[in-house]
Amino acid sequence: MILFDGKQYPAEAQSDLLERLESRINRTLALRTLDREAVVRALDALSSRIASGEFDARIEALAAGDAARYKEMAVAATRRDALRFRLALELGDDAPSQLAPPYGLPRVRVESRPLGTLFHIAAGNVDGLPALSVVEGLLTGNVNILKLPSADDGLTLELLSLLIGLEPSIAEYVYVFDTPSSDADAMRKMAALADGIVLWGGEEATRAVRALAPPGARLIEWGHRLGFAYVSGYADKEAELAALAAHIAETRQLLCSSCQTIYLNTDSEAAARAFCREFLPILDAALAAARAPDPGDAAQATLRAYCRRLEEAAGQTDRRREVFRGAHGSLTLCADRKLELSDMYGNVLVKRLPAPYLLPILRRAKGTLQSAALICAPGERAALTETLLRAGVVRVMTAGNASVTFGGEAHDGLYPLRQYRRIVNVEL
Amino acid sequence: MDYRHQLFHHRDPYDVPGTDALFLAAVRENCLYQAANCPPYARILRAFDFSPRDLRSIADLSRLPVLPTAYLKRHHLFSMPRWRMPILAASSGTSGAASQIGLDLGSLTNGLAMVLRVMAPRRLVSPQPCHYVVFGYRPHPSNHTAIAKTAFGFTCLTPAVSRTYALRYKNGAYEPDLDGVIRAICTQARSPFPTRFIGFPAYTYFTLTRMEAQGLRVRLPAGSKVMLGGGWKQFYREAVDKTVLYCLIEKIWGIPEENVIESYGAAEHPILYCDCPQHHFHVPIYSRVLIRDVHTLEPLPPGRVGLVNLITPMVRATPILSVMTDDLGILHDEACPCGVRSPYLEILGRVGMKEVQTCAAGAAALLAADAAGKEAHA
Repeated sequence: MILFDGKQYPAEAQSDLLERLESRINRTLALRTLDREAVVRALDALSSRIASGEFDARIEALAAGDAARYKEMAVAATRRDALRFRLALELGDDAPSQLAPPYGLPRVRVESRPLGTLFHIAAGNVDGLPALSVVEGLLTGNVNILKLPSADDGLTLELLSLLIGLEPSIAEYVYVFDTPSSDADAMRKMAALADGIVLWGGEEATRAVRALAPPGARLIEWGHRLGFAYVSGYADKEAELAALAAHIAETRQLLCSSCQTIYLNTDSEAAARAFCREFLPILDAALAAARAPDPGDAAQATLRAYCRRLEEAAGQTDRRREVFRGAHGSLTLCADRKLELSDMYGNVLVKRLPAPYLLPILRRAKGTLQSAALICAPGERAALTETLLRAGVVRVMTAGNASVTFGGEAHDGLYPLRQYRRIVNVEL
Repeated sequence: MDYRHQLFHHRDPYDVPGTDALFLAAVRENCLYQAANCPPYARILRAFDFSPRDLRSIADLSRLPVLPTAYLKRHHLFSMPRWRMPILAASSGTSGAASQIGLDLGSLTNGLAMVLRVMAPRRLVSPQPCHYVVFGYRPHPSNHTAIAKTAFGFTCLTPAVSRTYALRYKNGAYEPDLDGVIRAICTQARSPFPTRFIGFPAYTYFTLTRMEAQGLRVRLPAGSKVMLGGGWKQFYREAVDKTVLYCLIEKIWGIPEENVIESYGAAEHPILYCDCPQHHFHVPIYSRVLIRDVHTLEPLPPGRVGLVNLITPMVRATPILSVMTDDLGILHDEACPCGVRSPYLEILGRVGMKEVQTCAAGAAALLAADAAGKEAHA
């Protein structure tokens, strides 16, 4: 389905609608300004409807077992106060102002404006993400063209249509196409109309989009990341290790912020082994207590663990790796220091990384750095945090909170709303 | 004694109980060969404390160590020198690495006997010349996927008047040419020869919906058939309800449902599963299927959902005696109106994770590519 100017059309109408898109958008750009307050009002109304339970069945279908948490997150993120907080934090006071520059011209007007037209490409099927990306575009006053991920199940159109129903002035700011990524011609046409291309996805998607983006279009890429924990002493050992284990079990290590590798501030193999022996039962207990994954997830975890067992049996494993296997998960002590993806689902890598090597090692993974869970003695916290930040990490959290989200949080080190605006100068 | 040959030349392709003893003997024979000729496989058998001689009853098959396709993608195992494998088949590698399966001459000759027997009930082998429309790859020297080879093989079941391919090789990549396919279909509707469609269900569906949108409808000559196979793979979420697909095929091409034939196979388990007129995949005698618990990998009784473990003694060149795909499935043992008595396998789909959960995995791929790039530059 296609959503164009508030109306839904079958996929076959795509080429006709694409023909009309440029003049339609130009008319909006020429004549209209999207009222930010109206967008906030519509989102707040949506938030109340989500809170009232209207979408419970839908959320349950998306996130069985975790629906309550998802619902809470959706309500919190779309509430008026949260939106106001976010707008104020990310955009600051963006009312027009006048400047008396220190040299050059005597008086200049400064204004923050929408980028213009955003082309959102949400690769993959993160539930709700395409709609969220468009909402960010609306909050910043942009016209939004969205290419649906091929796996979209109709939720995006449902949410955006609902929003348009609540605030009809949004209609001419939202164009949704379910074009397959392979339709390069249509993708190029959409990209050609964009001032900014917002891309969610992996390396393959990024390469493809870079190839079709017109020169000069701003590329805003939200890519994939690898999380880790750094352990250098403790403030409250028992509680911190339990919190780290709970984080690993609850996220099943599937999120960008999830801990893949536990780095230990030590060079001693004996100390690292001792850590594994001590942490394994804690991790195992947390995995046993975590909610049962759906059969697909469980099968994936079982297959991975079983493949490792086969590799060990066949003598195909890296001899420099020592596996500490529990009933539900495992710790693999490695000789190298590289930040890498674990087997996930409770199978964590453990590596020795003395503090002096922290920055150089992390710099080699700079493109994928995001969250670090830092566990250390209180006296060391400030210095280690500073090192992590200097290396390129953008979120330093306590043991259990590596994947916690909060209002106004930066996204991979940036404020997204600020990316979707431009600053204009007018000579007075 | 060549038990494999006996099994693959057994008269009734669905006489499962009647071939249990023969199947077991063929597996044992194959397992002894693998243990002697494939050192990593032999080490796995030892680590699992399993000897081929432990295979005494059909129930013992569940103890035979299983190799998941994910493992076969990471480790290419062979039990013969390359020159003894006329064909090296690769899985289509939807998600990166591909497995490589060597096919020895014996597996090919026995496989041919199997194909002819399994297809006989659906009247697929015939002297009647046909047009072929392949929703798949045009064979090209650079394409070693099993699916391209199988699809080409299917166009040899009758004399071929023409072969049209939906995926053309152009500038080093494959690209779909559905409009070319639609033109061919419209021409063939006026031909005296029936048309057979082969390949990915997703492309079949795209073509049908495109013809429907263009208001095109044809009546293809009697005897035309649609052979679906190859799995939904990357188009999984587009999977339409099968009855919708059958209705569209009847409406747009004029081919009745009984002439829509679906098959299932995998490079790692090259046994042909062909559906019956009720569209059930009965297990043929060349194969035994176990459904395993997703947590413990223990075998489950019929009717339960689990990982699909496929066992066959067909191939010697690679130890794929017992493999596990990343599909979830159910084995049904209730009676089927088609009269075939062997149980039938229902595939529910891949054990895929959602993208939301794999962003970490995506980052790992990025790092790997980065490292590879550095090596290339160094």
